[in-house]
Amino acid sequence: MKIPRKKYEASVPSMAMGDIAFLLLIFFVILARAQDDSHLQWQPAKTELLDQAKFSKAGVVVDVDNKTYLNGQEIGVGQLAVELDAILGDAPVGERTVLLKVHKDATAVYFEPIIEAVSEVGGDLIHILEKHHE
Amino acid sequence: MSDIAFILIVFFLVCASIQPDKGRSQQIPRSEEKDQKDEQSQNPEVKITRDRVFLNGNIVKSEDFLARIRILLAEKTTEADRVVVVKSREDTTYAFWIKITDYIEQAGGIVTLQLEEEREVKID
Repeated sequence: MKIPRKKYEASVPSMAMGDIAFLLLIFFVILARAQDDSHLQWQPAKTELLDQAKFSKAGVVVDVDNKTYLNGQEIGVGQLAVELDAILGDAPVGERTVLLKVHKDATAVYFEPIIEAVSEVGGDLIHILEKHHE
Repeated sequence: MSDIAFILIVFFLVCASIQPDKGRSQQIPRSEEKDQKDEQSQNPEVKITRDRVFLNGNIVKSEDFLARIRILLAEKTTEADRVVVVKSREDTTYAFWIKITDYIEQAGGIVTLQLEEEREVKID
């Protein structure tokens, strides 16, 4: 006697596929953001004149604890010029933007050497600030 | 239904957190080392302390500073003449420094920093 084989149909649930893809997308977006400096704590100083910041290859942060970070990684001020030079490389003028995010209460002893390092490597400095409301 | 609502919340949270940064670009001359023995500079010199500002050695109220530096830079025509040498004391806060350098740039000045070699950089 011949027993007929049962055939199981394996199908991909197409409805769930969209959800999974979307969740994966969000997962990778959050993962990418975890590598930038958005996790660092700092409060911007206020100003009256603000422009839209350009795309930048490098971002330097001085946080509330006066620690310096380059692209989210803690760094000593002495190494900053070397690291910035490596990041900016031979990029032409206009594509050498460095964003500087300094906590408003940080003192000159912490932020001036950073400005000097940016100047040393020929970077275009942009101070990230907040609009001053009267 | 709750899945969709949850995904929508996450989506809008991620969107809201991706806001483009706004700021102020600053033209800074390339740094160079200069001896103290160099000839006396003719450029305006601004000294910033924690809550005071000095223009060419004279104390100026921060609210009067913009008018004073405007007058000083009005007669300067070349880019080299419009360079303003900024010296800060170690305890000068970034917020105050930004305020004063903002005024200098509004007046058409180009900020250049003068750092002291003997300054020690604190590393925690």
